Amino acid sequence: MRRLLVSLLLALPLAAQSRLASDFEIAQMEKQLANSRDFESQLSGRLNLGDVRAARNELSLARAEYARAFDLAERERVAARVQSSMTRYANATSYAALAQAKLGRDAKAFTLLEEAARYVSDDAEAWNLYASAMRILRHPRKAISAARNAVAIAARAEDRLDLAVYQHALATALIEAEELQEAETLLVTVTESLRSKGFESLQREVARAESFEIYSSARGDVAAYVSLLNRAQLRLASLYERRGATDHARSEYERVLAGRSDDVVALNALARLARNDAERERYYAEAFEANPFSPALVREYQRQLRDRAPNVDASTTGGAMRKALVQLARGETRAARASLDALLTRFPENETLRMLRREAENTAPIAIPSSTPTAAELRTLLAEFERLTPEQRIALEQATYSSVVQFSGDTFESGAIEGVPFRFSSAVQFQGTFDIARPLRLTYRILGATRSGDRDALLLEPIRLEATP
Amino acid sequence: MSACVRLKRTLAAMFIAVPLSAQLLTSTERGVVVATANQLRLNNGWSADGVENPTAIASSETQVAVLDALNNEAVIADLGSGRTTRIDTAETPIAAAFVGRELYILARDARVLQHGSTRIPLSADPAFLRTHNRRLYVYSRATGTIEEIEHDRVTRRLTLQPFASDFEISGSTAYLTYPREARIRTADLGTMKSSGELAVGAVPVDLAFAGGGTALTARILAVADPSAKRVWLAEATQSMTEAVARGVLRGFLGLGLFGNRASQFPTGVDRVETRGKHWIAYDSSTGTLYRFTSKSSSVIAKGVAPGAYALTGDGVAWWSGTSVAETRF
Repeated sequence: MRRLLVSLLLALPLAAQSRLASDFEIAQMEKQLANSRDFESQLSGRLNLGDVRAARNELSLARAEYARAFDLAERERVAARVQSSMTRYANATSYAALAQAKLGRDAKAFTLLEEAARYVSDDAEAWNLYASAMRILRHPRKAISAARNAVAIAARAEDRLDLAVYQHALATALIEAEELQEAETLLVTVTESLRSKGFESLQREVARAESFEIYSSARGDVAAYVSLLNRAQLRLASLYERRGATDHARSEYERVLAGRSDDVVALNALARLARNDAERERYYAEAFEANPFSPALVREYQRQLRDRAPNVDASTTGGAMRKALVQLARGETRAARASLDALLTRFPENETLRMLRREAENTAPIAIPSSTPTAAELRTLLAEFERLTPEQRIALEQATYSSVVQFSGDTFESGAIEGVPFRFSSAVQFQGTFDIARPLRLTYRILGATRSGDRDALLLEPIRLEATP
Repeated sequence: MSACVRLKRTLAAMFIAVPLSAQLLTSTERGVVVATANQLRLNNGWSADGVENPTAIASSETQVAVLDALNNEAVIADLGSGRTTRIDTAETPIAAAFVGRELYILARDARVLQHGSTRIPLSADPAFLRTHNRRLYVYSRATGTIEEIEHDRVTRRLTLQPFASDFEISGSTAYLTYPREARIRTADLGTMKSSGELAVGAVPVDLAFAGGGTALTARILAVADPSAKRVWLAEATQSMTEAVARGVLRGFLGLGLFGNRASQFPTGVDRVETRGKHWIAYDSSTGTLYRFTSKSSSVIAKGVAPGAYALTGDGVAWWSGTSVAETRF
């Protein structure tokens, strides 16, 4: 059970942003689970699968895995008691508690953790599990206390990797309790220790095996080492970033990418810290390729899009996701819905997509624009056109509108009204002489919503064109 | 039917349900008090708002206190009127005790004993709170320290082995169980010195006092050992060192409550409680509550949550899922 202990490396904010496991990888994990028989393999498999599902924001599937993990642990508890194996019983009880914590059941988790502590209060791993469960349940001060016990016990032994694991868990809990100075000191200790000569043999094994997988429940020293170094560097970098030590932060994030080039958290952070837009977009592109559905990444990208609207290659899943977010940011909710629907056909269980789809679906009643409509009125109409009632559509088609428009190109076919794209069904010739490069007043009817180039646009029927004064 | 199939069926039967949701019972002079989620009530009496997650309960002649270790909160009720006071506690209140009308709360993760606004610092991982002669004693697992508290300050301190699973006081002797080492250790609270140790069973987890302790008779210890699937009954004296030296200790009277592999209850018990001549034991893994004597045992109830039972003056009460059930001995 020793290295299953590293389940405690887990921290939800990181797990939620980890690289997206593909359906193929999940299938492989399930296959391995089907072939494993012992409790540890089964349990770690279920916990890992749950975490992977959670990282994909497939929360109901994640809960199902955690429930299976709890079921396994409960059976193991009873079996261990039947066989008078009390250490095994205490271990299984701790893991049952962890599963309950992942299910968000704090009272049940607490009861089980206290039960385990009766038997193995001298066991650093048991305290580490305690700390992990309390962190998951957002009780950082309780987590700190438990983690301190783990560190104190491990410090009496000689296993440096175990000690580093527990120090990292303590640092994580300290961060969640906003005790940042002690956390930073601990993380510097952990990362320097892991990169030191004391871990040379493990470092050689990592290089030889080209190990890079990051597990929430790691088994074996190599997996534990890789996961721990990744997590500790990320947390340290994040602390540097928080206190404005940008160069230190960037350097630590780059160290993470040196170990694993598709780490979403590091890519997202480097995008945030980018020196220019091109660099920022490159990091975001890589981050979205690694995990298109990380809620944290999505939200941060949306914040960035308030100030700019990049052109996105939508040929990959990550690109398609960014494209949908750009469309949402531009107010092109109709196009965004289409993009999200296309992704949902491929990832029907994905809750990030469902969330965005709901956001693209404004449920407030919409109104017919005024006769000289504002840009906001036209943008709303464009986004919500399908939601017009039949009566509203009739009223819309009968109404005439007047706006100052700017045509694009050298024919009277398409353009924008205060930034809202429009086009006619075909190029039109107006009577009179007009400078197409200048703003002109157009009287028109609105026929519907369409596409103009790669953007949503209003389909207009022109009635009259006049020069503006 | 093969043994394997039989075992699997037994496991399946046992796997049913140990309710993990918190209900706590305590017996008071006014009757049984039950703490469930957000409710505190005297059975067949008053009812009041309680705490969200009842995790520990303590009572005096006139008051009862229920703790919520997750939300760092306590509700104290007057037993007569049911009038309650709600207080915030330091981090993780896991135990409480009354000294007269004064309530002391052990907040483990804050490492303090809380008395009103006074917070008395303690050693790491303070896990057990006991009273004796109006003094309080706290055992801290990580350091093995027993701290004596009087007038809101630590007056004396004794360091024993760390990581005990239970700490009880009888007379002026403290008894501690060590499951890993299969030992009971004692300390003389008069001198605040270690007074002896003894090997006990395989994994002794919990102990209670099952009589004796008079001028003429030795104290009898009841020790729950889930690994051996037994409750050991042991004669001890106020000082085990003296007892061993004098050859008084007669060894443990192994009471094979669940020793038969074919037993209907093969998982053993890990909690034991006594009140006069009434002794009960509890199996946390299956939620089974037993009554036992020095010669026999019987099942009282199954599917009982940890802490959802209490010895009363003439029997035992437990939470049946919807109400308080009672059996008189």
